[in-house]
Amino acid sequence: MEVFLEQFPVVVNALNEGFVQTLKLFFVTLLGGIPLGLVITFGSMSHFKPLSAFTRLIVWIVRGSPLMIQLLIIYYFPGLVLKTPIWGGGEAGRFLAASVAFIFNYACYFSEIYRGGIQGIPKGQDEAGFVLGMTKVQVFFRVKLLQVIKAIVPPMSNEIITLVKDTSLSRIIALQEIIWAGQAFMKGSHGISGAIWPLFFTAVYYLVFSGLLSLLLGKLEKKLNYYQ
Amino acid sequence: MMKTLMKILAVMMVLMMAVAPAMAETDMEYVKNKGVLVVGITDFAPMDYKNDKGEWIGFDADLAVAFAESLGVKVEFVEIEWSNKILELNGKNIDCVWNGMTLTDEVKAAMETSNPYCNNAQIVILPAAKAADYPDVASLAKLTFAVEAGSAGEKAVNDLGYATTPVLSQADALMEVAAGTSDAAVIDSLMAAAMVGEGTGYADLTYTLPLNAEEYGVGFRKDSDLAAALNAFLVDAYENGTLMTVAETYKVQAAVIPQAAAEEAK
Repeated sequence: MEVFLEQFPVVVNALNEGFVQTLKLFFVTLLGGIPLGLVITFGSMSHFKPLSAFTRLIVWIVRGSPLMIQLLIIYYFPGLVLKTPIWGGGEAGRFLAASVAFIFNYACYFSEIYRGGIQGIPKGQDEAGFVLGMTKVQVFFRVKLLQVIKAIVPPMSNEIITLVKDTSLSRIIALQEIIWAGQAFMKGSHGISGAIWPLFFTAVYYLVFSGLLSLLLGKLEKKLNYYQ
Repeated sequence: MMKTLMKILAVMMVLMMAVAPAMAETDMEYVKNKGVLVVGITDFAPMDYKNDKGEWIGFDADLAVAFAESLGVKVEFVEIEWSNKILELNGKNIDCVWNGMTLTDEVKAAMETSNPYCNNAQIVILPAAKAADYPDVASLAKLTFAVEAGSAGEKAVNDLGYATTPVLSQADALMEVAAGTSDAAVIDSLMAAAMVGEGTGYADLTYTLPLNAEEYGVGFRKDSDLAAALNAFLVDAYENGTLMTVAETYKVQAAVIPQAAAEEAK
């Protein structure tokens, strides 16, 4: 018990540092992925056949292959095959590469959720808008968008909670997020070696954070309730 | 048609000429030009680990700092995922792997390695309560060994023909024994001395038999001229005593391999 009390502050400090990386990756992915997803949706819903076919091919590749492989390819491919290590070996480069992989991966998932939301709106609303002399763009932004947002909040919440935990995959390219920080104590770090509990303790961080997110997203859902 | 083809060819020639000098530079010039030697490591006491101020220290880290100084460049330590070390090196994310790396045939084939500078052994880890039941290597035959995938320890157990459970790291192998999911583990003896036994997190474990003897070296990109430069540096450091001084700081002096100029003939 004494040893534990001695180790606890050291471990929490290290885990906090790791968790900052986790949070950074989480928010950067949302900031980049949510708008990029919309662009991909418009691509895959385009009436210009080559564009929609190409976009759907990309979405299939990104959703159909493991994110872990995508991380490895995005980080190592430029240096190994193209002989130009664009990311650099340092912490910042690894974070950038991880961000690109996560943003692209999650944007593809988001785009399919958006598509479902948009296509779920009855066609009659388009027709009613056109009869009233509105353009396609006007119908989308003034009539359909809010309904779409309301419809996609539950599936988006699901994806966002998954993202919290998926960030741990970035340890494969040695981004030092919280799992990495926890695992380091098994081998030896900050003068503590052979400690297993810090790795398990990281779960508490994930639980608390995803709990907070669930509350927040639940509130958002309630707020949108006025709009049937 | 011919004209366009000529134009394309001309453009390609110009591009190649622009790229050619960059490709012709040696690894030493490449490192000197960017002014920093990027050293790929893992958190591995007593070779590379962080002090209270968060700076990298250790037998390997201190030598890497001195070597970079001799080249007139700065040093940057980057933590890597150990199983990706060759990818990191060839992708130029790092310039060398300097982290108590065992010189196996695979390592020597994939990297330009320095002369060995430190002795090591693969050693058996057992729960302390059971250690007395296994006095020799033959008595271990029925056990299952947790080993780091791709490690020298895995090879040592495979050579004996005993059962292995490959895991992600040597630390994971220790956890397997502590949790009772594997009977025993095989890890580096230098690491075992630092991590197992009384006063460590694995007080219930102990290390017993060495399975083989092996040597540590530093790895550079294939055909890099930095390996020869490091060999010369190690000879100097051994002769003027700095190598042993650093070794004594981290209590690994017994394992250091004497460096002599004659050994350089590879």
